[in-house]
Amino acid sequence: MGLIDFSKLKSETRTFAGKPVNVTIGPRFNKMGVPAKVVFSLKSLMEGMWLTLSYLLSPSTVVTKEYPENRLTLKFPERYRATLRLTNDENGFFKCTGCKMCERACPNLSIKVITRKGPVSDKMELDRYIWRQDSCTFCNSCVQVCPFKALNMTHDFENAVYDRRLLIYCLNRYAGPAAGILAAQDEETRKKMMEPRQPYGGNVPMNGYQLPYLKALPGKPADPAQGSNK
Amino acid sequence: MNTVPLIEKTVHTVSSVMTTTLADRASSAMPNEWWWVVVWLAVGLAAIGALITALGLVLIYVERKIAGHFQCRLGPTRVGPFGLLQTLADTIKLMVKEDITPTEADQAMHLFAPFLALVATVLVLVVIPYSPILQIVDLNIGVLFVTAVSGYGVMGILIGGWSSNNKWSMIGAMRVGAQIISYEVSATLALLVVVLFSQTMSLAGIVESQAPGWWVWRAHGVGFLAFVIYVIAATAEINRTPFDIAEGESELTGGFHTEYSGLRFSFFFLSEFVNMFAVSALAATLFLGGWMPFHIGLSNSFNSIMDMIPTVVWFLGKTSFILFLIMWFRWTFPRLRVDQLMRLEWKILLPIGLVNLFAAAIVVLTRLFFFPGVS
Ligand code: SF4
Ligand code: SF4
Repeated sequence: MGLIDFSKLKSETRTFAGKPVNVTIGPRFNKMGVPAKVVFSLKSLMEGMWLTLSYLLSPSTVVTKEYPENRLTLKFPERYRATLRLTNDENGFFKCTGCKMCERACPNLSIKVITRKGPVSDKMELDRYIWRQDSCTFCNSCVQVCPFKALNMTHDFENAVYDRRLLIYCLNRYAGPAAGILAAQDEETRKKMMEPRQPYGGNVPMNGYQLPYLKALPGKPADPAQGSNK
Repeated sequence: MNTVPLIEKTVHTVSSVMTTTLADRASSAMPNEWWWVVVWLAVGLAAIGALITALGLVLIYVERKIAGHFQCRLGPTRVGPFGLLQTLADTIKLMVKEDITPTEADQAMHLFAPFLALVATVLVLVVIPYSPILQIVDLNIGVLFVTAVSGYGVMGILIGGWSSNNKWSMIGAMRVGAQIISYEVSATLALLVVVLFSQTMSLAGIVESQAPGWWVWRAHGVGFLAFVIYVIAATAEINRTPFDIAEGESELTGGFHTEYSGLRFSFFFLSEFVNMFAVSALAATLFLGGWMPFHIGLSNSFNSIMDMIPTVVWFLGKTSFILFLIMWFRWTFPRLRVDQLMRLEWKILLPIGLVNLFAAAIVVLTRLFFFPGVS
């Protein structure tokens, strides 16, 4: 016995401020008398107790993963989310076009897509894809909005570091146009189009800085003019 | 009917097993051998101390393990085999942790409150008959004593919350006060039903009165209803979910023990678990026959098999059943709102409990319960 009977939903047109508006009218809550309420409540309490008891009695329902003895054989649920990656096509070129849809979709500004004018094609293309794992909530919004299916959440969860700034990565290994454009070129042009990128190079905080216990990371110091540190 | 004499015989044999309690030994030694008084009291204290330690270690582990599996988790698995030493590790951690008293707190009262909370539960443990030969004091007003001192634990919580000088602690403590005072009424009404039937307030006497059958079924419906009311009210009295508005971590961070840390926090924590054991043991004693083995009518062979199981095992088995019930409630039910809590007590449990008490009185007067000739 649910509280709302969905088969009783009705649709009609009503006038609001002189304009016709389509509205859906749900039924009122089922009015229950006191005895019915008591029976309903007791029944739902019993259902809850039965459910938890069934969890207790069948160990197969346990979802906890033990770690680290079984590191190598560890299996995750398919939709487990730990690390954002750019997906590649069969040639190993990333599919991202630098459209910045993911950057807009991210609820906490964890993504910064930096684009550049391509040296060969003279069209906008990806320069650096910067992802802040430290502030990411793993909501998967970026993966869902990407129109080119260029993002993926992988299962690599061993990301502990001693400095929080190390959690800010550049995800692409080269700056250049998307996979489709690259695949159409010959070897020579391709080389000209692509420029290598480091995980901690460019506009990420650890670039060029040094801590007593932490060596400076490879790459040039950050350029104040975003995305044009060539 | 030849059933009655036979049952009387059982009662007789059982009560002849009864030996004197520690307190009896102490008082009989009083006039001439005073050192024996000290020895018996020390034995009693040591026994209670050992019981509390064991309870803390076992109950906390069991609760975490059970809670884990109720929620599709594993619970502790790492410290020792199956995580058995987890509680020990936690105890050591709590002991070496810094014990902070807030600067604005009332120092003396803040220090004193956790011990008060624990002492109240210890006082209940003292009167419970664990087996016919294992009881520290048998008071002739046992039930009255229990209801009196269990209300005393709320003092520790109230003082702790008040002296912390923190709004969460304060609200939590006030909620506990209101809650325990309310539910005490229902719990006592339920206990009175058993007192009516067994015609004694001594806990050992109540257990003996159940030799022909446990009050939960022997007293027809009233016994069972009283049992249900007592379990609900007891769960509320020890501040466990669904009645844990005193702690309510989503609203009050930690309730009355927000400002407690280290060893003194562990005292509050321990007293919660010992309390849980105390009310379960009481429910087992009053309604499920305490250490009394399960007997069926006159089937002698069945009864003698049941008698072979030691009485302590019977007691622990029944107590664990109720403990499990309380844990089961905790990990299944959502927390009640304050007004819902009060409505449940004053508008539902209390009237039912009162009517139940009257019904019980009528049943006792008309002697309509099973085996009336015996008790
Ligand atoms: S998963 Fe969510 S929070 Fe993380 S980068 Fe993507 S959109 Fe942002
Ligand atoms: S990852 Fe997808 S959405 Fe984000 S910039 Fe690249 S193509 Fe656009």
